[in-house]
Amino acid sequence: MYQVEASKALLKPRLWARGSARLRVPRNVVMLGMVSLLTDISSEMVATVLPMYLIFSLGASPLVFGAIDGTYRGAAAVVQVLSGFSSDRWRRHKEVAGLGYGLSAIGKVALVAAGNTIGGIGAIVAVDRIGKGIRTAPRDALISLSSAKDKLATSFGVHRAMDSIGAMLGPLIAFAILFLAPARFDAVFVVSTIFAVLGLAVLILNVEGKPRRAPREGTPPRVRAALGLLKDRSFAPLLAAAAGLSIASVSDALIYVGLQRTIDFEPAIFPLLYVMTAISFMALAIPAGQLADRVGKVPVLLAGHALLFIVYAVLLLTSVGYLLLIVCLLALGGYFAATEGVMTALAGAILPEKLQASGIGILITVVSLGRLLSSVAFGGLWFALGLQEAVLIFAGALFVAMVVATPLLLRAQRTPLHG
Amino acid sequence: MGSRNAKIWVGLVGACIVFGVGYVAIAALGPDETTTDARPRAGAVLARTDLMVRAVDPKNPRLNGNVFVVDDGKVERGSRDLACERVYYAGGEGICMALGSSGVDYSATIFDSSFQAQHEIGLTGLPSRARVSADGRYGAMTVFVSGDSYQTSPTAFSTRTTIVEMKTGKQLGQLEQFGVTKDGKPFDAVDFNFWGVTFAKDPNRFYATLGTGGDHYLVEGDVPARSLRVLRDGVECPSLSPDNTQIAYKSRLGDGERWRLHVLDVATLEDHPVAESKSIDDQVEWLDDDTLAYSDETNVYTVPADGSGEAKLLLRDATSPVRLQAPTRG
Repeated sequence: MYQVEASKALLKPRLWARGSARLRVPRNVVMLGMVSLLTDISSEMVATVLPMYLIFSLGASPLVFGAIDGTYRGAAAVVQVLSGFSSDRWRRHKEVAGLGYGLSAIGKVALVAAGNTIGGIGAIVAVDRIGKGIRTAPRDALISLSSAKDKLATSFGVHRAMDSIGAMLGPLIAFAILFLAPARFDAVFVVSTIFAVLGLAVLILNVEGKPRRAPREGTPPRVRAALGLLKDRSFAPLLAAAAGLSIASVSDALIYVGLQRTIDFEPAIFPLLYVMTAISFMALAIPAGQLADRVGKVPVLLAGHALLFIVYAVLLLTSVGYLLLIVCLLALGGYFAATEGVMTALAGAILPEKLQASGIGILITVVSLGRLLSSVAFGGLWFALGLQEAVLIFAGALFVAMVVATPLLLRAQRTPLHG
Repeated sequence: MGSRNAKIWVGLVGACIVFGVGYVAIAALGPDETTTDARPRAGAVLARTDLMVRAVDPKNPRLNGNVFVVDDGKVERGSRDLACERVYYAGGEGICMALGSSGVDYSATIFDSSFQAQHEIGLTGLPSRARVSADGRYGAMTVFVSGDSYQTSPTAFSTRTTIVEMKTGKQLGQLEQFGVTKDGKPFDAVDFNFWGVTFAKDPNRFYATLGTGGDHYLVEGDVPARSLRVLRDGVECPSLSPDNTQIAYKSRLGDGERWRLHVLDVATLEDHPVAESKSIDDQVEWLDDDTLAYSDETNVYTVPADGSGEAKLLLRDATSPVRLQAPTRG
């Protein structure tokens, strides 16, 4: 069921893109999308089979990785800011991103060579996380620097859509290999390594490291300039708005758990919730970006967050049919499509060229800290008051956050930086 | 850069396709290694115990899972067909949790006293624990469930525990749907996870672990009432002694994934450690009212329940020890 649904969905955005003559994004953005697509195939292949591999070959409980993961996600936040700033400072976005992609590729090779001890696999998972932390900010800066300012949201939409295609293909390829060659996890790791190497090759061979908006002269930015972004007249309001909105947004993982409690559906359907949301995200990422470039990023951002009210409303209902469940998941996918990429595009539009990666690194870190806080708060409220009360409080908080964020975002958008 | 890159690409993609497809093809078409000489080998203290175990092959984990029966010290292959990740058997009914025929999903087979499959139940996660009540009426299965890693952590896991009626293969419900009380008041949180069921002599009663917010509660459950009651903290994978007076369990050391085996008194809830000094991640089996058996995923060991003596090797290359009760054999 999972496979069929997903493969149908994969065709959708591609056909759509072909049919639209007006979708013109820079070649560099498509190439970076290709890098992410291939890398995501590689990492999702491993992520899909790793738990099975752990139990099957090592008899280990997958819970051993819970702690490792928490630790390294914290480390990744710090790494993001550092790698963002370093790539601005050295003007080597492509090389720093390449280091991140390279680390993940090395991790896959190591899995083939030495993935038969718990400690070894733990170290490989950690290296993969750090690689992801390193590459995100410089990669997003490259996307931004490759695009004209009035096409930024479309560019990020195209990249995010390609990225999620990879995330869908990875599990399918892994399952296909295990279906053909049962229990041959080594074959999955080998093919995953190949995709990682191909992704790195596209980056090295086909991605332009100095795209058209990239700074070529002037003094390299200092740490003080990057820190100055925190109190900058237009970037600081953007950060504040992003922080507020992310704190008031319930994470999708908790939404799925909430839906499971609200609706008494078969546990086998649970993975389909993710698939439905991913399909919706994939299909809507490009249109949302185009809309943001046409009517403005701020209205699309706000409309995206407003979609969360539909999700919250469904969580408040006591009986939900499958139709309403699908509407809820489409809304959730639309929320993702209209927010993360568009927010990064907005940052790309107002940040000075020489501080693109630093600013985006800071933004990603602020948003992920906001999400962490949101999850802790939502879990706490659920425990203390109950699910419905927690959802009501978050709906109220989201409304307040949107009211406060609107003038902040408009101010950010109005005054581009000249740093 | 165009033509040079194009050549590099043709070469690279060609090499990747040849290597990748070739590797998968050889893996898929290569000889099927289903025969193994790996069989559990008896340790010093085996002779007096009748057991069912799952064999492991230290040289080739793909051959793990064959079920063996130990009878009067002799180790014999129980079934040609069953290969299990987890196995349990009591009252003439057995559960074998294993990889399904598709190679990508897991299922549980309910088998009878001659190892014939009676029912097949699809599992929504990775096998973790299996238990059957002493009279063979109910079974309990715990699986690890991971979300799809889309925008969530691929390593964030939860557990799901299902109660099954063994005769019919009917799923009676998940512990996640049971009502929980703590100190007489309703108790609920987003991160509730249940695992490690152990049934009492009255099969409607059982114990299990409830994990939430870093705590691991021992809960006592009632199957028909679909209810659970919190008894105390710090108890994972409980296992009730045959006389129902003691519970052996894993006691977590610090925050890590390391455990010591303890035994608690059901009446007082007081506990003491046993003499095993290794970290053990297993649901203990009682050989009799005074002796525990458990595995470290490689060998099966035994240790006295009262904290005295020392751990002894029972069987090499085996896991999932199951005591075979006299009335249900043959």
